[in-house]
Amino acid sequence: MPEPMLELKGVSVQFGTFLALRQVSVSVAEGEIVVLLGANGAGKSTLFRAVSGLERPSEGTIHFDGQDISRLAAHRIVREGVAHAPEGKHLFTEASVRKNLLLGAYVRRKDPAGVQESMEEVFDLFPMLRAKAGDAAGTLSGGQQQMLSIGRALMARPRLLLLDEPSLGLAPLVVEEVFESILEINRRGTAVFLAEQNAHAALKVAKRGYVIESGSVAIEGDRDTLVDNPEVRRAYIGV
Amino acid sequence: MTLFLQQFVNGIALGSVYSLVALGLTLVYGVLKVPNFAHGALYMAGAYVSYVMLTSFGASYIVAMAVSVVVLAVLGGSMEWLVFRRLEGKTPVHSMIAALGLLFFMEGTADVIWGPTFRQVPTPFDGVVTLLGVNITEQRILVIVAAVVTMVGLYLLLKRTLVGMSIEAMAQDREGALLVGIDTRRVALLTFAISGALAAVAGSLIAPLLLVFPNMGELIILKAFVIVILGGMGSVPGAILGGYLLALAETMAGTYVSFAFSELIAFGLLVLVLVIRPTGLFQKGV
Ligand SMILES: Nc1ncnc2c1ncn2[C@@H]1O[C@H](COP(=O)(O)OP(=O)(O)OP(=O)(O)O)[C@@H](O)[C@H]1O
Ligand SMILES: [Mg+2]
Repeated sequence: MPEPMLELKGVSVQFGTFLALRQVSVSVAEGEIVVLLGANGAGKSTLFRAVSGLERPSEGTIHFDGQDISRLAAHRIVREGVAHAPEGKHLFTEASVRKNLLLGAYVRRKDPAGVQESMEEVFDLFPMLRAKAGDAAGTLSGGQQQMLSIGRALMARPRLLLLDEPSLGLAPLVVEEVFESILEINRRGTAVFLAEQNAHAALKVAKRGYVIESGSVAIEGDRDTLVDNPEVRRAYIGV
Repeated sequence: MTLFLQQFVNGIALGSVYSLVALGLTLVYGVLKVPNFAHGALYMAGAYVSYVMLTSFGASYIVAMAVSVVVLAVLGGSMEWLVFRRLEGKTPVHSMIAALGLLFFMEGTADVIWGPTFRQVPTPFDGVVTLLGVNITEQRILVIVAAVVTMVGLYLLLKRTLVGMSIEAMAQDREGALLVGIDTRRVALLTFAISGALAAVAGSLIAPLLLVFPNMGELIILKAFVIVILGGMGSVPGAILGGYLLALAETMAGTYVSFAFSELIAFGLLVLVLVIRPTGLFQKGV
């Protein structure tokens, strides 16, 4: 087994006296799609925020490419190759779609030709964004904003993409479209770490995953193990 | 008609200064959500630096203003670095009290250095130009032109440069900015420096028209808050338009009603807008 690209070891995150993550250990290898399942408030977003530097772990280590990034500032972590399409999207709503994408490539500002190329790639992935390139991000529909959020993250040309509940609030057809694009992104070589409550959709694209409950990893395994697990079926697939 | 035109020009000159002060205030508010009362002290300090350059160093007016801009950019940046950065994550009340503290601290410092005396600032632009029967002092023309040049420069900086884009990004979504790799601390420092520079331009421009004294920033900073609330907190076009509108309203009221009444307008408007439309009259947008 090769060294994982992202590896969290015993990571805890604390808000005041509340432990939102308790000694979580998870990993993602180069080129993988891994899903993180969990109910509301389980700690999925907190885990991603710890990886991208928005929260500081109170204990544990987070290695990316063998380097401990758990003390790096958020803006430095993007440079290392981790991009995060966060919960709530955090788009620049008054700026145009194009400007959002340009800002997504902020860490690559010394390479305008490469940035243009990535912009074309994102437009090919989400043709709707090309049509709306001049519109303010805030005027897009929920699904379009989700695609812009993913597109903006891709503009950093990351090796690992963190996607926090991309299906949230989207119509089933749009969810399908978004998951199609996740597969395509992965085919182009980017590893994807996906937080979801929609296990049905997520387990179609991910080969393995983790279930977190109240801040701890409760179940982990490959797709079949998770699909067959009675608890996963009951809680997240709804059969 | 001549009186109206005369007062219109005076109003535009005053509005230029109001807008410049409000711009610095709104930029900092947009990016850091800090209501920076100490901005009034930066404006005062900008006027004093020009005064010292002109009277003690015999500098030309333009050089004096340039030095003031540089000194105030450094002072503004230091304010962020020494004070507001350390208040990150605390309640907005902390920042507000710190800003008020800084305002009084800097006023006190000016009082210690220069005393409470009102200072007259010399200007080489003391001629008068007559146009359509309206007498305009050269200094007023300079104020109007320099303010427009500064605003165009600021616009280009915000819209055309990466630094400007990162300021806009942080104003719109701080977390989004962090996630695309923007060093938000650097942007905060830069924004404070720019705001200091804007205060220096405003203070240096107005100094020869008014008198320079330690508390000169108090009334104008309160008016700048009125403008920023009127124009939408954090809005750049709102600050510019609001600055000119308030100054024109004041000047006209001072001419046709009474001076006392003109000083009432800003704060009357403030209460009115807060009650009727607390989000401001214009759309927010840098
Ligand atoms: N900044 C914060 N301060 C205090 N508590 C927090 C903070 N952020 C998250 N929490 C708490 O931590 C727990 C985990 O939250 P988190 O957002 O990570 O859950 P989640 O799995 O992403 O849930 P959801 O599916 O609703 O997005 C929740 O109980 C939440 O209330
Ligand atoms: Mg979440």
